[in-house]
Amino acid sequence: MTLQHYLVISAILFTLGIFAVLTRRNAISILMGIELILNSCNLNFAAFSRFMTPPEDISGQIIAIFGIVLAAAEAAVFLAIILAIYREFGSIRPNEVDTLKG
Amino acid sequence: MVVFLISLILLCPLAAFTVFGLLGLGNRSFQRQDYLSTAAMLIALVCSFLLLGEIAPDPEPHTVNWISLGGVTFSMGFYLDSVTAIMLIVVTLVSSLVHIFSMGYMHGDPRYPRFFAYLSLFSFSMLFLVVSDNLLGIYIGWELVGLCSYLLIGFWFEKNSAADACKKAFLTTRVGDVGMFIGMMMLFTKFKTLSLYGEGGIFALVASLNTGDMVWLSIAGVLIFCGAIGKSAQVPLHTWLPDAMEGPTPVSALIHAATMVAAGVYLTARMFPILTETSSLVIAYIGGITALIAATIAIVRFDIKRVLAYSTISQLGYMMLGIGAGSYVAGLFHLTTHAFFKALLFLGSGSVIHAFHAMHAHAHDDENDHAHDTHGHEHDDHALVHDHGSEIPPDQDMRNMGGLRHKMPITFVTMLIATLSISGVPFVFSGFWSKDAILGGVLGRAMEWNSVHHYLLFGIALCAAGITAFYMFRLIFMTFFGEPRNQEMHDMAHESPKSMTVPLLILAVLSLPVVNILWFNENYVQPPEQPHLHAPQHAYASPDSKMDEARGTLSLFGVSEAVAAEESGHDTHGAHADDGHHGHGPAHTIAMVLSICAAGLGIFLSWLFYHKRTLSAESVATTFRPLYNLFWHKYYFDEFYDGVLVALTVWKARLFAQFDGTVVDGIVNGVGKVTRDFLAVFIGVFDNRVVDGAVNRVAEVTWAIGGRVRRIQTGAIQTYLFVVIAGIVLLILIFRAL
Repeated sequence: MTLQHYLVISAILFTLGIFAVLTRRNAISILMGIELILNSCNLNFAAFSRFMTPPEDISGQIIAIFGIVLAAAEAAVFLAIILAIYREFGSIRPNEVDTLKG
Repeated sequence: MVVFLISLILLCPLAAFTVFGLLGLGNRSFQRQDYLSTAAMLIALVCSFLLLGEIAPDPEPHTVNWISLGGVTFSMGFYLDSVTAIMLIVVTLVSSLVHIFSMGYMHGDPRYPRFFAYLSLFSFSMLFLVVSDNLLGIYIGWELVGLCSYLLIGFWFEKNSAADACKKAFLTTRVGDVGMFIGMMMLFTKFKTLSLYGEGGIFALVASLNTGDMVWLSIAGVLIFCGAIGKSAQVPLHTWLPDAMEGPTPVSALIHAATMVAAGVYLTARMFPILTETSSLVIAYIGGITALIAATIAIVRFDIKRVLAYSTISQLGYMMLGIGAGSYVAGLFHLTTHAFFKALLFLGSGSVIHAFHAMHAHAHDDENDHAHDTHGHEHDDHALVHDHGSEIPPDQDMRNMGGLRHKMPITFVTMLIATLSISGVPFVFSGFWSKDAILGGVLGRAMEWNSVHHYLLFGIALCAAGITAFYMFRLIFMTFFGEPRNQEMHDMAHESPKSMTVPLLILAVLSLPVVNILWFNENYVQPPEQPHLHAPQHAYASPDSKMDEARGTLSLFGVSEAVAAEESGHDTHGAHADDGHHGHGPAHTIAMVLSICAAGLGIFLSWLFYHKRTLSAESVATTFRPLYNLFWHKYYFDEFYDGVLVALTVWKARLFAQFDGTVVDGIVNGVGKVTRDFLAVFIGVFDNRVVDGAVNRVAEVTWAIGGRVRRIQTGAIQTYLFVVIAGIVLLILIFRAL
């Protein structure tokens, strides 16, 4: 397994995430896409740390763990916002939440 | 010391006025202004007496530079000679007494503090005028006293007559002041200075003029005298002074009898060195004519204050005559004595009016009945009175008086002394000496120059003297003797309070020849030289020896000779002494005898007419009806001014109004019409099309662009994100290609 394998997997994950964010009409699905993008980044950190630095330097792996924690917190806030939006507008579809539209 | 004393004299009254002004800002006057002003005047009076001892034999002006304009510097300063010192005493003394008198007379007036503040301001202005060493300072004081006169004549401005009178006084004197200003400017353009004394002063420079400048100098002298004509109420600008009697009586005594009106005489005396034969003669003639005209008008007046006003005009004419005839000392001597006895007469009349006035206030309810009574009475006694009679306030009408000598003994005695003085009753009254000095001076000049003009002037002055005695005793007889003519008013009359009688008594003492002491001393007052006054060619010259005789006649009863001697004594060391004034010795004796005769005749006739009633004034008036009408209508001066000058002004104003209404308004309206009908249309179109068009187009374009661009702002978050990612992809592709 070389670095390229990890990067390819990561790129596929990233692309799938972007695709989900751009195409989904449901805010939860968009959140799932964002999580995919985040995790592709975490994978990159871990892969680069494993292959590009000396074995005793594990800062890349630690950043990946921070990223996971961050993702969890972000998901909690995101879900809270979605819940609030649903209460306000009765929908969680982003294109229906357009009060600020010019 | 001199500067300190003079400054104190000036600053005390000014400070008293300033206190009123500052406290008045709070809309509440200082209630004890009367004590303040009187105290200030008393300090000034003491200082004036102290100054008597400070006079230098050859006085120098004390000056400071005031304004520098280009190459010309105006200075301000004091000049103290014996005449200034005497004037200071006269002004401060009369002013102090009038202040004290006013405390009684003006008591209870709603503007009581203001009255005293005005008196203080007036005193300051008058003293400033007196001590100034230059024409500019004199002019400033001159206008300030004019202002104070205006304020005080119009003190009871609720009365229309008072409001009219103060305007008349202000405007009439202004006519003379214009002449005075032109005269000042003539001197200024010639000499580049307005200072009178010292090396570069006008008097020093005038002496160096040659005969070619005499016409010019005469014109300048007469023009400056115009100011005195206005201020001293000489014919033809005398009409304001009788009307000025609308002011409170103390004001009449102070301003319109003793001091301000005498300022004209003082100015003429100050300008003595620039007088030429012509200007002197003009002054003498105007003075003489004034003396006679005013005296004749006074005969037929019934308002006690108007009689005194015309008497004042007449006496001022006397002083002018004296100065015009070269009797410098006599003119100023008469000014001094007149100030005291005329102030006394006015204050005495004020006392009488006060006595009636109190009654008048009591009997206010039946004023209408009262007026009716007065009218009927007048109709019986003086059938010739057509109009004007009704204008006289009842408390000033001599036809309501009579028999007051028992009711008001002090007022009666003091006024009698003043009347004897003004009438020229010999020896124990000051007026006799001063009037006789003028008469003697005029006759002296007439004999010495053998001049018809001066003989004529002497005749005029003698007539006026006789008439003066006549009308003054008429006043006394009508007021204090005989039976009360109006019993109701008579019953209520009473003697005035102490604050009013004490000044009367002091002035009565001053009407005796005590003031003569100042003028006795021949070294004390010396007339200035007149470098451009020469006796005519045919002048009669007499040997010098007579001069010593004239000097020798100095005795207690020979003041007039003393004055004459002093004049001739001075002139012996003048450059033109050889034409001397030696005629004075016999001239004064002749003048004295004649003036005693004239005064005696006047008093005797007055006694026959108004006391004994063996002669009837009414029948005489009927016999000489045209003459009586002339006097009654005051020589038609007012009618002339109304009919000619006022009418001319009104006509001119109408003409200008018409010009204004048609031509000026026409032009303005025409321009307006053209602007509105033509220019405005073009400008309106331009505005609508071009300016509005540009603004609107800009707005429309902006609107349209905005309409297009806003569509980018879809609000769909995924669209934005797509654009972002597309952009990133594009950038990556571009950078790869590079």
